Amino acid sequence: MYKRSAWLWLASIAVYAFLYIPLLIVILYSFNDSKLNAEWVGFTLDWYRKLFHHEEMMQAAGNSLVIALIASACSTVLGTMAGFALHKFPTRLLQLLVLTPIAIPEILMGVSLLIFFVMLNLTLGMVSITLAHIAFCLGFVAIVVRSRLAGMDESLTEAARDCGATPVQAFRLVTLPLIMPGVIAGALMAFTLSIDDFVITFFTAGANASTLPLQIYSMIKIAVTPEVNAVSTLLMGLTLLLIVIASKLSPNALRS
Amino acid sequence: MKKLFALLTASLSFVAVTAQAADEFHLYNWNNYIAPETVARFETFCKCKVVQTYYGDNEEMLAKLAAGASGYDMIVPTGNALEPLIKQNALTQLDKAQLPNLKNINPAYLNTDFDKGNQFSVPYAYTITLIGYNDAKMKELGINVDSWSAIFDPTILAKIKGKVTVLDSANELMAAALKYLGYSANDTDEAHWQQAKDVIMKAKPYWAAFNGTSYIKELTVGNIWLAHGYSNDLFQADQDAQSAGRKFHIRSALPKEGAVLALDNMVIPKSAPRPDLAIKFINFMLDGKNSSELTNLIGSGNPNQAATQYIKPEIAKNTAIFPDKAALSKLEMLRDLDSKKRRVRNRIWTEIRAS
Amino acid sequence: MTKPARPRSLARWLISGPPLLYLIIFFVVPCLIMVLASFRSPGDYGGLAPLHDETGKLDLSFDNYTRLADDFIFVKVFIKSLMYALTTTITCLVLAYPLAMLIANSSKKYRDLLLLLVILPFWSNFLIRVYAWMIILGPQSALSRGLNFILGLVGIEPVTLLFSGFAVIVGLVYVHLPFMVLPLYANLEKHDPALLDAAQDLGANTWQRFWRVTFPLSLPGVFAGAALVFIPALGIFAVSDILGGTGGIMIGNVIKQQLLETRDWPFGSVLSIILTAAALIVAGTAAWVARPRREANV
Repeated sequence: MYKRSAWLWLASIAVYAFLYIPLLIVILYSFNDSKLNAEWVGFTLDWYRKLFHHEEMMQAAGNSLVIALIASACSTVLGTMAGFALHKFPTRLLQLLVLTPIAIPEILMGVSLLIFFVMLNLTLGMVSITLAHIAFCLGFVAIVVRSRLAGMDESLTEAARDCGATPVQAFRLVTLPLIMPGVIAGALMAFTLSIDDFVITFFTAGANASTLPLQIYSMIKIAVTPEVNAVSTLLMGLTLLLIVIASKLSPNALRS
Repeated sequence: MKKLFALLTASLSFVAVTAQAADEFHLYNWNNYIAPETVARFETFCKCKVVQTYYGDNEEMLAKLAAGASGYDMIVPTGNALEPLIKQNALTQLDKAQLPNLKNINPAYLNTDFDKGNQFSVPYAYTITLIGYNDAKMKELGINVDSWSAIFDPTILAKIKGKVTVLDSANELMAAALKYLGYSANDTDEAHWQQAKDVIMKAKPYWAAFNGTSYIKELTVGNIWLAHGYSNDLFQADQDAQSAGRKFHIRSALPKEGAVLALDNMVIPKSAPRPDLAIKFINFMLDGKNSSELTNLIGSGNPNQAATQYIKPEIAKNTAIFPDKAALSKLEMLRDLDSKKRRVRNRIWTEIRAS
Repeated sequence: MTKPARPRSLARWLISGPPLLYLIIFFVVPCLIMVLASFRSPGDYGGLAPLHDETGKLDLSFDNYTRLADDFIFVKVFIKSLMYALTTTITCLVLAYPLAMLIANSSKKYRDLLLLLVILPFWSNFLIRVYAWMIILGPQSALSRGLNFILGLVGIEPVTLLFSGFAVIVGLVYVHLPFMVLPLYANLEKHDPALLDAAQDLGANTWQRFWRVTFPLSLPGVFAGAALVFIPALGIFAVSDILGGTGGIMIGNVIKQQLLETRDWPFGSVLSIILTAAALIVAGTAAWVARPRREANV
């Protein structure tokens, strides 16, 4: 293991601070005894109390979580395949197709997906939202997996094949573990993108399903109360808990 | 295989959530634009479940509907968003026989230019766009806020540089500038639009930001001293300032040149799954008591005369929310523009915002 | 390295097939609708004008594209957005690199935890994270007051941090940082420590080890991260809406206005196509520059 220099520690801590100071404000203000998210007044648990009675908000948070889990799972699988294909069988078409959803403005993609779903007569709801999310998350996973594969030692896979492994076995037992950090990184990105997406979700949502970003953004014109801070804090905590449980249940999954 | 299991459970909850229940009334509305008590009372009244989804902006709702979204039983567009919906033939005609409570509405808000005879819409609530200010600071600086000059006149602005925000809306800001110049807010003469643009560009260096969302917060905290905003938002700001124990009030001033009145209306889209529930809802909301609850909640203007007795006195007396006859005559409702004019306006707006 | 030809092409379709198919159905087809829209006229009250006008003729033209050539303002806004996106990408790279290195070099026990800690803040809602920055950068915050105090000592006018270009950059960097950290980490993680040991044995100091060994090896990760930051940053509008002053909108805002306020879908479509093409060209150029060189220098 390489000895890390002091400057690396210092720089990293500074960046973590940059990442966490706003978050700490978010969490802190969920206990703020003031409707405005503007300055500290006093401590209260009111917002959490209000939140638990706010069925709509809780339902929306739940929907967001479910959609994010399914969309990130599907886009990780498809994205890993795409990343692998980009590395082994690169074609202009696939490269373009993977990058363009990232480049295209979300609002255009949202409107076009809506028109498309209406043409297909697909009822707008959780399904339409998830399909849309997979479409734009896929590329992120593919790019990360591809960059992980670039420069990966091919000789290991070759050796496995020479020892008699089928291509599937070679992939499952050699390649996949080697690219796992890339796959995990991609999955985390896809989950993050999906759980917080507003624009595309707005256009592909129906009259029934709502997600947390939709609820929150519609509050933007009135007042984004600390109830939003409370639901965000809870959602973060819940997601963290899920991941910790998942990693305890399958201790080998995350290990590279 | 843990992933598979997780996927399975998630998909099941997925299906459970997407399964539809019968007797649902889908309301597509602004957030916090109906009191929870009212919703609960309607649910008991109609023996149905009210499912609310929200939009934050008329244009977002229009784009969604234009792209073909459906499933909504009722929508609450503002007047200038109502026009395109009517012209695109997207709304059901209202059966007046089922709306006995319609007589409660103040005739001044009926028979508007964009829906003569109220064939498709019924007034719901209204807001006025005006100027909100920190009264202590304005007194200290000796500024009397009674005209649009407070946000457009560089001599006044010099005293409050960096402490003013204006709405991030081309329609609202251009309307204010046109009113300041003495024209109608609905003036479509492009020469007048250029003049309005010049007024805006002269004032722009003194403004802190174009902000339509967090100005309540900034006013209440004291980062901003003057804001171009909506009457119900400014009412909210003052309430928040008082509950936070501030030493100032947020007052609203209706400029003497006149201002914009935004009337929100209840409409039933042609694609509504349950128009029967929708028409019941309209009549329900036309009842005085039900209508008053929103006003008491957020300080929105109320076109319903039967509601006056239920409205809190401090709101009913607030002339920024309930203007008197003289002030009312100077208020205008914005009209929609045709596509060519919209392009010209957007060009001007981009020039204003891009420099 | 010889594999029989037939199984190879079957494998090729099995692997690239599903994602390709998914993207064609749920991305290409919807986008083609909007690409076609860029040749049509806007509907008078919204949406698109009918495909056939009153005389039954097909109403398609290049009008929306030629309009772009006549109006320099959109190019100006676009260039501004490019500058913002570039600044954001470089700042993200500088901030993300030490973090990615630290995580990649950590022992397995801590690695996943540190990675999770990077991404955890981004599972809270975007809007309140940006509002938190309004508090941090606001005129009454500790940061603003402290900064203006120091500037006052030196005799400089107080600056406003919020509602400025600076605030927009801070917001953009904050929002995009994890998308630089994760690809960098994924790449740095596989670096063989033996290479650095060898470099040290040959007399390289810390900086030389980084610049001559680590950084070149990490280039694929650098470019992946840069693409995943630069491209989205080019089209974003929400950050400048909330944190920006009067000083200038981005191309993302202009496109949003076309599709919403102006209800001019064809022109919005044109701007989007140009933006997407520009982003892809930049990404393509960067990828070409970073292409793996067969003559390994390692």
